[in-house]
Amino acid sequence: MMRRLICSMWLLFWAVVGVAGSKPVAQVQLPCKAWNQVLSPDGSQLVVRCRDSSMHVLSLPEGKALRTISAEKKPYAVAYSADGQRLAVGFHDGTVEVSAAKGGVVGKQWKAGPRRIDALAFSHDGRTLLVGPADEAVRIWELGDPPKLLATLPFEFGGISASALSPDGKTLVIAGNDTVLRWYNTATWERTHESRDFLLETFALTFTPDGTQVLAGGADARITVLDAATAKQVKQLPKDTGSYIVGLELLGDDNAATLYLDDAGEKPPHAVVWDLASAKSSPMGNGAVPTCGGKVSGKLWVCTAEDNKLTVAEWE
Amino acid sequence: MNLTRRELLERCAVLGAVTVATTVSLPTLAEAWDAAEAKKPTPWCELGPFYKRQAPHTPMLRTASDAGMPMALSGVVYNTRGEIVPDAKVEIWQADNDGHYDVDGYRFRALLEPGPKGAYAIESVIPGHYPDRVCQHMHFLVTAPGVKPLITQMYFATDPVFEGNPDKNYRRDPLCTSRELVRPVVIKGDPKQIVAAVTFDLVLETV
Repeated sequence: MMRRLICSMWLLFWAVVGVAGSKPVAQVQLPCKAWNQVLSPDGSQLVVRCRDSSMHVLSLPEGKALRTISAEKKPYAVAYSADGQRLAVGFHDGTVEVSAAKGGVVGKQWKAGPRRIDALAFSHDGRTLLVGPADEAVRIWELGDPPKLLATLPFEFGGISASALSPDGKTLVIAGNDTVLRWYNTATWERTHESRDFLLETFALTFTPDGTQVLAGGADARITVLDAATAKQVKQLPKDTGSYIVGLELLGDDNAATLYLDDAGEKPPHAVVWDLASAKSSPMGNGAVPTCGGKVSGKLWVCTAEDNKLTVAEWE
Repeated sequence: MNLTRRELLERCAVLGAVTVATTVSLPTLAEAWDAAEAKKPTPWCELGPFYKRQAPHTPMLRTASDAGMPMALSGVVYNTRGEIVPDAKVEIWQADNDGHYDVDGYRFRALLEPGPKGAYAIESVIPGHYPDRVCQHMHFLVTAPGVKPLITQMYFATDPVFEGNPDKNYRRDPLCTSRELVRPVVIKGDPKQIVAAVTFDLVLETV
């Protein structure tokens, strides 16, 4: 399960490691043995997801503890708004909390789903929040006072496994545990298209920057390119047998996609850059596994951990 | 003829097949009878990442060459009223003896249709330990008209993780949140044809 929660955004950045230099921007002491971390979009904060189930919000570059969410509260999912101003945390009991990211003051909490929150994602404008409880329908909440349930987006069974919002914010694509990809109009929350071509789950989704295509990757260990307007498959890239895709992003405008492939008991974690046009791949061979990453002021930041020391580096 | 409990009691009372030795009304008695026969829904346990559509319709998941302890798993699909769900579809998938899921093909995957008796049965092997998980487990997805889909996992009381005491140790797997999902194992056969027999009834919530 934890592997599925690895944030996809930072995975592409690690691929860049093999072809670019880096400049450390912060070194912080981790407060626990960590699964992974989540960087705020402005690079001023880091959420550490600990193996003991606690979460810690640290300032960057100082590494000062801003807030701790104890393991007893069972935090599970976490997401920053695009402007980095708000932090959403989902808990095991279905509660979601949205706080001002700065200040460490606990924000509004409400029961946003019936059980453990597996997925959270803000809309581009930060006004709505996607909430994905485990094996349950997705809830779309308008973040007013109080929060208002705008839509419930069901599956045949199970819950969300991935989502992507189009660059213009008008289309949301949700992948379900039921292996179906569903397109929604974010103005009406009506389902507009769906793709039932997948036999296995999709764990990573992303739109191309121009919004015309959607890339999907998952347990089938291959990138599938879909037409964003019709949900029809455009092409599939070769499989990386023995692995499955958990992260998928585009590298700039050069049509090269990067994915992170995790093991299914056969291969160690690894990252690969695919050229979408030629369907050729370049393995990233540095061996280390990143634990977080994100784009900060147009620069790529990536985290690597050694023992309990985390290095955040800017890649050029 | 499907009579409700109340209709049945009323008919029995008229025909003398039942004697009501209480002043409580028949509808109340019918409700009490239903409650006595009701079943607790099988606890949910998450789907996991390796579900695959279009599993084969076969009760035989293992081949003669498969490593692992042979297992015979069976059960009946009920609703919470204790009635058999005759038109259920039971999907089962598991890792092989080495803890690997087959995502390229359909090894150790099955789609069963229990039929009017609600009974299902498969022959397989006890799954190995998947690297990311603490316990040996089987996945279930059960669907049928008029009931809420059931997603759950079943565990084995003989799993070494439990050290022979699943009552005490079942929570060692953080995903195993209910003791009743840990099923007893009955060893049958002889040393040349040994098999682990497990029963797991599935109780679905009516919608």
